[in-house]
Amino acid sequence: MADWRVWVMFVVGLTLIWLAVRKKYEPNLLLPMGFGCLLANIPQSSAVGGGFLDILFKAGIANELFPILIFVGVGAMIDFGPLLQDPEMLFFGAAAQLGIFLTMMLALVVGRLPGVEGITGLREAAAIGIIGAADGPTSIYVAARFAPGLIGPITVAAYSYMALVPIIQPPVVRLLTTRDERMIRMRNPEHEVSRAVRIIFPIAVTLIAGVLAPMSVALVGSLMFGNLLRESGVTERLSATAQNELTSLVTMVLGITIGSTMQGERFLNLTTLLILSMGLIAFILDTAAGVLFAKLMNLFRKQKINPMIGACGISAFPMSARVIQRMAQQEDGSNFIIMHAVGANVAGQIGSIIAGGLILALVR
Amino acid sequence: MDTLVAEGLRISLTSYLLIFGVLAVFYALIKLLWKMPPPREGS
Repeated sequence: MADWRVWVMFVVGLTLIWLAVRKKYEPNLLLPMGFGCLLANIPQSSAVGGGFLDILFKAGIANELFPILIFVGVGAMIDFGPLLQDPEMLFFGAAAQLGIFLTMMLALVVGRLPGVEGITGLREAAAIGIIGAADGPTSIYVAARFAPGLIGPITVAAYSYMALVPIIQPPVVRLLTTRDERMIRMRNPEHEVSRAVRIIFPIAVTLIAGVLAPMSVALVGSLMFGNLLRESGVTERLSATAQNELTSLVTMVLGITIGSTMQGERFLNLTTLLILSMGLIAFILDTAAGVLFAKLMNLFRKQKINPMIGACGISAFPMSARVIQRMAQQEDGSNFIIMHAVGANVAGQIGSIIAGGLILALVR
Repeated sequence: MDTLVAEGLRISLTSYLLIFGVLAVFYALIKLLWKMPPPREGS
């Protein structure tokens, strides 16, 4: 008779598969994760304990290769145009990272509670806080280095809450804004972005990040390399491969490998429950920080910003921008803020990887 | 406040401010790129 934890993990694995198939929540990742969870929890499974899933873990997660490759694909998918047209949106990408740091502090306190294991210092607290980056690869990248034993729950939290952004963000945004604020119209940016600017931007950002925050170069550089493949206009095949085959292949092996870390005896404990709770708190705090920062900016501006756009600074690209556009249209069917929302959203992508790099550099 | 929490607070504040700093540099970069002359016809 198998340990009770095996049965619980089967339910967890099947739930992830159900969420992917039935609810279409991040299916490309949750389905492989769910199946990996099943494979790892079958008693005496040959997939783990030196099996192919352990080999994949060492080959791509322990050395942080898979998240980096995912970033190449993400970079190839991102259009920085809306951000280049309205660079003020960058500041929302910074403001909405606050949840990372507040959650890191929370994790430091929670780690001392009786019965909590595995959160012993700053490294583990930072790995939990980075769930607030709302960016799966960054979470995996930091967790693999700082808290490999917690990578399962951290990844589950990061991807689950990214999929749940349409449920998490609207109540927070509504709580912090008035109807009049949600109806604010944004003037469409008029600045044309030339091809040369689109090509120079990823190169310049990589070089500047290299000078200012060298620990972020792997993350920023891979994202911007993918973007350069897209924008150069001369590597269509490479760009298409990065967006499709590379991303699909790496996501598949990443998912099944992360799923294999969810073994009952390590996963089913109070720490996992707390990590899942703190991840949710991080997303809520990020959203609140972005909205409140927009309201703060409005105190000094003649042309007001729709404060909902601040919520898009959490990364979670492009889900967050879509959610905020939908909310704007619920208040006023003819209000289109999608370009600004996308700008803030890609700024959040940049802000989150800079946050990851700074945490790796500063936490010892 | 013990040493670990104080260190966490210091890192959090520094990182948060640095994110603003780095993104402000990117802001300046984009503003600078705006000043680039438009490409010539046919180039």
